[in-house]
Amino acid sequence: MRTRASAAGAGAALAPVALLMVLVVLVAGCSTGQRVSLGGDRAGYLIAAIAGEPDQLDPHKTTAYFSFEVLENVFDTLVAPDANLEMRPALAESWTVSPDQLTWTFRLRSGVTFHDGSPLTAEDVVYSYRRIIDERLATADRFSAVADVRAADARTVVIRVHRPTPNLLTNIGGYKGMAIVSRRNVESGQIATHPIGTGPFAFADRASGDSITLRANAAYWGGRPGVAGVVFRFIPEPSTALSALQAGEIDWTDSVPPQRVAQLRNDDSVRLAVTASNDYWYLALNNARRPWSDVRVRQAIAYAVDRDAIVQVTSYGTAEANQLAIPHGNPGFTDYHRYHRDLGTARELLAQAGVERAELDMLVTADYPETVTAAQVIADNLAPLGITVRIRTVDFATWLDEQNTGNFDMLMMGWLGNIDPDDFYYAQHHTNGTSNAQRFSDPQVDRLLDAGRVEMNHQARRRIYAEAATRIADQVSYVFLYNSAVIQAWSPALTGFESRRDGAVRFRTATLAHGSAP
Amino acid sequence: MRRLLTHPVLRFVLRRLAYSAVVLFGVLVAVFTLMHLVPGDPVRIALGTRYTPEAYAALRAASGLDEPLPTQFVHYVSAAVTGDLGVSFRNGDPVTVVLLERLPATVSLAAVGILIALAIALPAGILSALRAGRPSDALIRVASQFGVSVPDFWLGILLIAVFASTLGWLPTSGYRPLTEDPAGWLRHIVLPALTVGLVAAAILTRYVRSAVLEVAASGFVRTARSKGLPPRVVTVRHIVRNALVPVLTITGIQLATILSGVIVVEVVFAWPGLGRLVYHAVAARDYPVIQGAVLLIGALFLLVNLIVDVLYAVIDPRIRLS
Repeated sequence: MRTRASAAGAGAALAPVALLMVLVVLVAGCSTGQRVSLGGDRAGYLIAAIAGEPDQLDPHKTTAYFSFEVLENVFDTLVAPDANLEMRPALAESWTVSPDQLTWTFRLRSGVTFHDGSPLTAEDVVYSYRRIIDERLATADRFSAVADVRAADARTVVIRVHRPTPNLLTNIGGYKGMAIVSRRNVESGQIATHPIGTGPFAFADRASGDSITLRANAAYWGGRPGVAGVVFRFIPEPSTALSALQAGEIDWTDSVPPQRVAQLRNDDSVRLAVTASNDYWYLALNNARRPWSDVRVRQAIAYAVDRDAIVQVTSYGTAEANQLAIPHGNPGFTDYHRYHRDLGTARELLAQAGVERAELDMLVTADYPETVTAAQVIADNLAPLGITVRIRTVDFATWLDEQNTGNFDMLMMGWLGNIDPDDFYYAQHHTNGTSNAQRFSDPQVDRLLDAGRVEMNHQARRRIYAEAATRIADQVSYVFLYNSAVIQAWSPALTGFESRRDGAVRFRTATLAHGSAP
Repeated sequence: MRRLLTHPVLRFVLRRLAYSAVVLFGVLVAVFTLMHLVPGDPVRIALGTRYTPEAYAALRAASGLDEPLPTQFVHYVSAAVTGDLGVSFRNGDPVTVVLLERLPATVSLAAVGILIALAIALPAGILSALRAGRPSDALIRVASQFGVSVPDFWLGILLIAVFASTLGWLPTSGYRPLTEDPAGWLRHIVLPALTVGLVAAAILTRYVRSAVLEVAASGFVRTARSKGLPPRVVTVRHIVRNALVPVLTITGIQLATILSGVIVVEVVFAWPGLGRLVYHAVAARDYPVIQGAVLLIGALFLLVNLIVDVLYAVIDPRIRLS
């Protein structure tokens, strides 16, 4: 009796399972396993996967790297860095500096139009710069030396500065946050969601949480792009992005798990670029608190930290250890390696400072997982010195608060996208620097950084910064750790793309070989 | 009309809706207060790590954050009752638009996920209970224990490895709107919905099994059998129907949970649902988006509960709506 009842019940109950299986087979049957997910109107579009969604698309207001990956292709600046990060003509075809070094005159390229067809004029440049200055946007400090911006005629922009400014070109061209925007686009309130630029690609569409689509700007002043458009898909999980690349669903990604790099190097189905970048990671000790106010204690920590181990655990060896900020191969590079790991010297310095035991509150954030990972190595490195590291992991919003109020003994963070030595050192290490959270103050460093800001002679300027950087590391304003790598992977069908050390993702020169996607 | 308004189901629904409004207001007060108590400054996050004090003050004033908290609350609520949930701090998009953009993906995933869960859990749970103690029961119990224990990110990555990378049957990730591309929608939803559905199925199977076991042991089932009713009728009409009431409760909770965002699945499959939206809004302390999303999720929870309560009465007429 019971057997029959259960058999009947089970038979009826199994029907939905059968239905489900039929459904799965049907779905699988109608898919071809190729990149069919985009409609026919997207044929010839390059599909790039980035790890997150831009918060907004107003280049003057966003600070998110994901935004700039997209905006790099939509907007132009007056000048732009080449592969060696030297500033080259972009919207400005030439410029001159007055003999007193206080007036810069830029000649605009003729025939440049915005994506809505309106011509680019000097007034647009003036409007863009005045917007940053007058609205006190986050990038306004790049104009701290600027006294006045005006249009002399439709194709001539004149920038007057208070003092000689050797890094003016880097300030206006090294960062897409200084892009030339359209006044109409700003005033209509559309720029944050539907930006209009002069770049090689025009904004076409956005699907919240999913993707942003750009289409090629055939009238681009630098030449028509090699692909019909670019779809930036947001794929936060690196292993998914890699699977999507290997399955031929996407053509390019920088969402690559570093632990897979070694394996991908030997994978013919994927092109991989691991490029040393200008980004750097550091430790900062709170100079306003004892005993870290004592330079000998800071030096002891610099001697005790094992940079190579930190590079291994945070990047699987893709990063490069560095005792200063500016990486090897950069014009501003200074050779410096005082702090090889040496516990004997570290103990001696602590003894001189009269420190036997100490507790250290280390502030890290899970939003930058490398800081959490490195903190464990550092805690282990400092234990033999009698320094007990208490790792405090918070979210980035809290981290910013704590950093700002000086509530930490030590923190770890990175600086991204710097080009000029002034970017690397002034805000962080000058007594009045806006990013000097560690409260470092050294008259000699201040004097050197002030001098570097106005020194127009290239050689003299390099010497000033080499001296400043050495002094900053000797006095341990930061314990510099490493330069991280830009890791990008793309399909063999994609050619003409160049991985850059400033992390700028430019697709204008990229082309796709059709039909070769698996 | 008068008769319609006095219909017990409608009266019940109307009363519950009024009660829901009170609950939602309470939720709003709690979220508003808590979010402002949590450390983290939205202006600082928006500006990044390099900015001047002037830039900070300017953005703070522009966001209305320099006003006293009670004033901000009054402004927010008086706009919210007219359907204006404010604009995102991050890009100035109206919050209602931001939420409505994400809702279809979330509803799709929840609906298909819960259907898959039911399609597996109902037969498996019933079979397991009816064959309690047999090998098939043991197998199903082990499988459901496994399903409960498996982390969803691992299951998701495994499904991608098998069905997308190796077999190439389905896309690894992404989403297509049902209205624009039904075939694409279906192809893209299978793997994430399976991930959500399998985990939910494992939980549901155990509830179905114990509910069926409990009902099968009750007096009226024995009476029905002794009356000589065919076994199939006893199973379907007496046992399963009565066991559905507790199962419905837990299904409702599962559905509401998936609706409020399955962040891990959304991350693994790059699914544009509410979960990731809320996560990023919290990370940026984007108060208007967080408040709007919590209101929406609260409303979805209350709606699912209401539907479940109405369904109780449909399944079991002895249950009164009061």
